[in-house]
Amino acid sequence: MISRREVIKWGAAAPAFAACSHAAFASGVQGCDAFLLDQRFAAQVPQNHWGIPVMRFDGDVTGHWYQTIDPAWRQRGYVLGGITGSDALFVLETLAQQHGRRVVSRSQVGAADARGIAPVSWIIAPVHPSVVA
Amino acid sequence: MTVPPGLGEADFADGLAEMRDAVGTEWVFDQPADLNTYRDFYSVLWGEPEEKRASAAIAPANVEQVQAVVRVASERNIPLYPISTGRNLGYGGSAPVLSGSVVLDLKRMDRVLDVNENNCSCLVEPGVSYFDMYRHLQESGSKLWLDVPDPGWGSLVGNALDSGGGYTAAGYRGHWEAVCGIEAVMADGELLRTGMGALPGSETWQQYRMGIGPCLDGLFRQSSLGVVTKMGFYLFPQPEAYLSVSVDVFRFEDLEPLVELLNELEYGHVFNGMPGIGSPVLAQENPIAMSIVPEAEVMNAMVRETGLPAWRGSINFYGPEKVIRAQWDYVQERFAHFEGVKFNETPVVKLPLSPDDMERIHKPRFGIPSLEIFSVGSRGYGDFNPSDGHIWFSAVIPRSGKGIIDANRVMRTECERLGLDLFMFVPSVTCWSRSFVLFAAVPVYKDAARNQHLRDSVKEIIRICATHGWGEYRCPPAFMDAAMDAYSFGDHKLRRVNEQIKDALDPRGILSAGRYGVWPRHLRDGGGA
Repeated sequence: MISRREVIKWGAAAPAFAACSHAAFASGVQGCDAFLLDQRFAAQVPQNHWGIPVMRFDGDVTGHWYQTIDPAWRQRGYVLGGITGSDALFVLETLAQQHGRRVVSRSQVGAADARGIAPVSWIIAPVHPSVVA
Repeated sequence: MTVPPGLGEADFADGLAEMRDAVGTEWVFDQPADLNTYRDFYSVLWGEPEEKRASAAIAPANVEQVQAVVRVASERNIPLYPISTGRNLGYGGSAPVLSGSVVLDLKRMDRVLDVNENNCSCLVEPGVSYFDMYRHLQESGSKLWLDVPDPGWGSLVGNALDSGGGYTAAGYRGHWEAVCGIEAVMADGELLRTGMGALPGSETWQQYRMGIGPCLDGLFRQSSLGVVTKMGFYLFPQPEAYLSVSVDVFRFEDLEPLVELLNELEYGHVFNGMPGIGSPVLAQENPIAMSIVPEAEVMNAMVRETGLPAWRGSINFYGPEKVIRAQWDYVQERFAHFEGVKFNETPVVKLPLSPDDMERIHKPRFGIPSLEIFSVGSRGYGDFNPSDGHIWFSAVIPRSGKGIIDANRVMRTECERLGLDLFMFVPSVTCWSRSFVLFAAVPVYKDAARNQHLRDSVKEIIRICATHGWGEYRCPPAFMDAAMDAYSFGDHKLRRVNEQIKDALDPRGILSAGRYGVWPRHLRDGGGA
């Protein structure tokens, strides 16, 4: 299971992403292995700026899922952070469950649109003993 | 601790302990945070006391562990609910039909056991997802395609068992139709192999489906009779090319002959891809939801005013380019007599796909799993939050022009009367051979009052459709009893025979209680619902 210390660490990180300032973002990425940025909501974040991969997409997470996330989630570890639409997070959260991972932190960072889709900053981390680093 | 119905807390704890011994402590889940992941996120009972929830979940790694768990469950009368990956959102997800069941999560059984390039077949475990299989075929350099549903995150086995469908060629896109060979753990813990798999040493398990005697594969479709642990499938040899075309006709009266000719051409194998029938003039407000079909003179006037076709038949071809071009030429000859007919074609796609083609095509039509539909859905139609989910209402209707018009009018009229929202409405889906399935996507809410209205309305729609001879081919758990009720010939002989089989093969009623309206003896008469 994920440790209490890790939950606290990542729980603190999400508001930093929410602020989305470069300094706050830089402090928040520590401990994450990659970031997923939904350009519908977070286009201003620089590419690979803090030495970790930043994966960008426009609502459809298929490509990053197949190329990067699925293979990574078959291994131990791999903490993934992101700022995405709540629709994309729903997809990732559902997939995470099957891989022993869970959303350990989430924070809505903007208003929902007319149909309820809101930008969310989040962290998905391994929680099952079979995948915890 | 939530306890299965009729079971004492101590007995259940002892049973879970034995299951832990069988699979390992970390693979038994009984904490709220874990069990939350086994909810049906599109449940029409979300947050209500009646929501169907698991008491625990257990994830075995192999057949022997499945057998051990089933034996414990049988000895202690613990209800199990097997899932493959539990991704069939809109049809129940990971949640059991009987609240309090232990979900038997087969996600760890994710081995591709065999791909036979010459036989164009595979044998897989239930945890193999479409993405897993696609990756396996890509990385092994296979020349075979799989047919995928949309989205493609589910399990080949689970989707086939639920009769899911995809988009490629006939014989593959009806996923149950592509099954060849099943292995299942029965309620007594013994292992059954169907077809040629019952013959030790046979090399034809994925070649000849029937074996000898009654063909038992159907016992496991949408059923509560066994835990499927292996399944064989036919795979589609990668074609050389793909061509998508359409035929536009401009009179209300053209629908019946359009469908008749499409049927003849498909059944005669003149084209092999999935056909479709739509109405551009009736899809002006919402391209994925046909509006009500008006009377002939009204519809013909709409066509004249807009210039839009009354009906469009879309046809898809897979095969050598030379062959599919000739087939398309022949199709045009056959439709030439329709007054004002127009033919449309898109450029031939040569296979394997180029990177440019990969970016522009609808991936599931090429056997490529995708999650794009979730983002498309978010840009969809109607005033609801797509993340709250939806359910599918899916009824089998006659494959004729009259079938489309009757089903369209009844559904549109009754849904309006009941105040039932539809954000997608297609009366003639053709994933499955020789039938139309009417598909209506109904938004679900995280609001009990709205969901109560939704449930009442859908049950009413099921009843109305049944009076026309239209029955659902698949449905969410909340409607399984109502859907099975509609199949009432011979004083519900179908359900009664299913119950007799259930009693014979699973006398303690431990497997998938209530699935598709078949309850074990001790839970009949609404006791389990």
